[in-house]
Amino acid sequence: MTLTAFNVVVPAILATKLAFSFSKLSDVVKYDHQLSSPLTSFSQLQEGLYLFDHSIDPYAGGTFRHSPLLLALFSTVLPSSRTFAPFVWVLFDAIGAWALVNIWRARQNVASSARDGVIATLYLANPYLLLPSLALSTSTIENALILLSIMFSCQRKSSAALLALAFGSQLSPLAAFTLPPLLLLLITDPHSHLASPKPLSVSIRKTLPYLAEFFAYFAVLTFCATLVTGDWKWVSQTWGTWLTLLDTTPNPGLWWYFFTEMFDHFRPFFLMAFTVHLATYVVPLCIKFQYDPLFALFLLLGLLGTFKAYPTLSDPGLFLSMLSVFPEIFPYLRHHTVTAILHLHAALLLPLFNHLWLVQGTGNANFFYASTLVFACANGAAVMDCLYAGMRIAIGANSEADGHFVVQE
Amino acid sequence: MDPTDPPAPKSLLARLKARFNKPKSDTTRSRLRRVLIIEERLSKWLPYIKFLLFTVGFLWVLALPLAELGKETYIDENALSPGHIRPQFAWADVHSADRWLDQLEKLRDSNATSEKRAEFISDEFRKLGLLGATQKYTLTLVNETRSGVNAYAVSPSPRISGTEAMVISASWIGRKGEGNGDLNLRGVAILLALAKYLKGSSSWAKDLVFVVSDGYLDGMQAWLNAYHGTEQKNLKVESLPHPSGVIWNALSIDYACHSFSHLGIFHEGVNGRLPNQDLINSFERLSRWTGGVPVVMYDHLGSQLEPPVYPSWIPKFIRQNKRFESYWQHGRNTVRHIGYQARGRPSGIHGLFHRHRIDAFTMYAICAQGPHGFYAMGRVVEATLTAMNNLLERLHASFFFYLLTGPYTFLKISSYLPSPVLISVAMMIQGLTTWSQAGWVLDVSGKTAITGPAASKWITRRRDVLPVAMTMFFTHVWGLALFAIVSTSWYIKNIQQAVSLPVFVLFASLPLSILAITRKQSPGEAPVGLVLKALNVCFASPIISITSVLNFSLALSFAMLLGIPLSISAWSRRLPVRIASYSIYALLALGWVLFLPEETKTALWHWEIASAWFAPVVCVVYAPLVLQAGIATLLTR
Repeated sequence: MTLTAFNVVVPAILATKLAFSFSKLSDVVKYDHQLSSPLTSFSQLQEGLYLFDHSIDPYAGGTFRHSPLLLALFSTVLPSSRTFAPFVWVLFDAIGAWALVNIWRARQNVASSARDGVIATLYLANPYLLLPSLALSTSTIENALILLSIMFSCQRKSSAALLALAFGSQLSPLAAFTLPPLLLLLITDPHSHLASPKPLSVSIRKTLPYLAEFFAYFAVLTFCATLVTGDWKWVSQTWGTWLTLLDTTPNPGLWWYFFTEMFDHFRPFFLMAFTVHLATYVVPLCIKFQYDPLFALFLLLGLLGTFKAYPTLSDPGLFLSMLSVFPEIFPYLRHHTVTAILHLHAALLLPLFNHLWLVQGTGNANFFYASTLVFACANGAAVMDCLYAGMRIAIGANSEADGHFVVQE
Repeated sequence: MDPTDPPAPKSLLARLKARFNKPKSDTTRSRLRRVLIIEERLSKWLPYIKFLLFTVGFLWVLALPLAELGKETYIDENALSPGHIRPQFAWADVHSADRWLDQLEKLRDSNATSEKRAEFISDEFRKLGLLGATQKYTLTLVNETRSGVNAYAVSPSPRISGTEAMVISASWIGRKGEGNGDLNLRGVAILLALAKYLKGSSSWAKDLVFVVSDGYLDGMQAWLNAYHGTEQKNLKVESLPHPSGVIWNALSIDYACHSFSHLGIFHEGVNGRLPNQDLINSFERLSRWTGGVPVVMYDHLGSQLEPPVYPSWIPKFIRQNKRFESYWQHGRNTVRHIGYQARGRPSGIHGLFHRHRIDAFTMYAICAQGPHGFYAMGRVVEATLTAMNNLLERLHASFFFYLLTGPYTFLKISSYLPSPVLISVAMMIQGLTTWSQAGWVLDVSGKTAITGPAASKWITRRRDVLPVAMTMFFTHVWGLALFAIVSTSWYIKNIQQAVSLPVFVLFASLPLSILAITRKQSPGEAPVGLVLKALNVCFASPIISITSVLNFSLALSFAMLLGIPLSISAWSRRLPVRIASYSIYALLALGWVLFLPEETKTALWHWEIASAWFAPVVCVVYAPLVLQAGIATLLTR
């Protein structure tokens, strides 16, 4: 039964997805703001490739914001036409699902388990991941790379893990925030220690060689990217966009509206504040969950998906699908139903208000922004609940039944 | 309070100190105690809160026509400046309208074909020096084919190179009787006279497009599709030879009788879309003050001219109250509005424009012995067009959410939206309560005489969501199948005959097969029926609250139809009661199959011609939700 689930259901989902990629649906969702941002959109990638193939600097116009590495890959190895690109996306989906299953296996310390099929299905059939993938958003590739780097570090394949993360950080520099928990993961183990917190038993200095290795990979890849384009202009157009928000196209995140409404002379300060805010979570999470860095990484992905600059649905989607790797926290989740209902509201409101504003013209930007706030609440509720549950396990099961209460100080 | 608490010190400083220096464990303890008390009170009061929300929600619906809730209309966009408009339409133009009317009547009497009519009208346009043309179309519906010919003309703006346009339209068949009514001959005649007259003015900053569409809705749909390049599978259209700019505003003239006393506003579009309220408000102002024609909603004359017929059960002292008269009038308008909007049905050909982001409405001339005719109509149309012409940008986005209870009273979004939203919140509370009821059960088995009630404790039950979610999913797929059958030509043809009953029985009974595959539950599991009810109500609630922004009337109808029935679905110990209650739910879900064949036909017709999604929504969303509640009453607890 479990084997069939894995060998039948997963290929079936992938095949269905591929079929849908060629249907009209894919063309309908391709320009959707919720599924691909200017930094991940397929049509912009194609535009950049066209310019690149015709020896025009794609970074000169201020419309192309993908990494030069994607340019290099899609103009040589990977197909970028509308007919063949879906195969690449389905491949990356499969890689992501495979990596997630392996992360689960590594965490349980088993070679294979009955839940493998379920976990792969939860990754492939998650609508927040499925739809961006149908829209051919490059966030699918970013997610697959992050999952690959986690998988390799769970398997103690440090070089592969760091290379995957370095590549992922090239595509989206915020992925580098996951480096500290990943390094901790490399020097400890991926098994669940949530129930028995203990201080880190190995010296933190052991991470230094890995850190150096990561920066070496990163530097080499940066150099390659520069070789591809011939100058350094791409840096400000790709990574710079994450920090300076050059493009305020609406997306389901919290930044765009804030910065379209703001007076220009406040911009630098708030850009700094928003970016530093993201960075502040990294160290506390690593310290708190030093006994289970994989869990710290999971929470960090949830926070990034909620608060980062150009999120699409696939960022919170990655967090929600990764939740399946941590079944031990399920009994301690306090308000999963409320979170689910919030997500239901957000999932209905986001497309509706986007439509009212941009297609029907009866609403305005405030409508869509309101729905992104609902979405942020839903994501925040999910992260908070997981955080609570992750800490609550250590106290032990069912003490409530005996008249005891667990109180948060 | 805790007896170990220290006695309160006297001086303020000491009290403050004590407040901040409390031992830590005590604050935690008192906070916990506070939380527990709040939780206990809340769970005790929750049924009352739910009841209150339901009551307020339903009372709010009744309060919608109250004058106190409404507001007087006003003009938000300064650029419209209706006060500055002086129409110049004169008696000479009335004469030309009369001559055209004579010719049109001759065409009517000679039973001229669509082609002949359109040819005549476009010839007249060309004679006036406009860019006139005809457009053929064929509409293939499941059991009929309609074809016709539209005539239209573009009068290029003398000031700007045709980047924007306004449309003045008249359909060949008037809207009286929703398209079965009289020919709109006078509407067409005044349109021709206006074309001649308006072309002479040099002040137009937008192209004027005159459209005489054939049929009722079909002609205008064909013309708009061709103009905007929209593909529609069942509608074959000729392309338009004379393009013009982006259409911002449009008005359609419906003038079938000899004279009229009032002009009626019809503004509901396909799928409940409304035009910008500023457009209607400026028309109302211009018609009332500049044109001298009083304006009413729809064809509802005021109570002076049309003594209201109150139902006899309303007590006499209420009927004689002066304020009740206005309540009744507003209520009538609101009910009519909800009838159009909830069913996504356009109240005239203007309703087809909204989809292309064009604000449009119909001026409906209400038949009377007098006193108004072509003169007043021409002046009102000219004045309204001038107001539209004054616009420098599109009408503002904040003015699309309103409920017109009268020609010059309306409800803001904050005054009408709470009614369905309160009901949906009450449903959400019901759903969450049921969800926790399914998950927890009070175990009283350990209760003995010695230990007393303290021995009873809450134990958790496992809630199996997957089978319930699958059940819900399959009922919606079942709804899709129902829609597929109902929209076939076979069904529509045989609708009055014996087809409805088998379809009803089939679709109402097959969901029962769920019962056959449910297995016996272990005591540690939550009852499937309860879980289904919880998810069903929790799912219906956001549907209502979110639809309310898109189509208020539809959300309100859903709230009225689903609110109470879904919340009270319960399993009964006795089989006959269970069967009876399921039958009631089945009737509520699918009763329209049996009892409303004409309604079904019209809804499907609107779906086919204008993609009004009322019919699919009823089949795929509404009916399955009610059926789920019905199934929940049958599943064992």
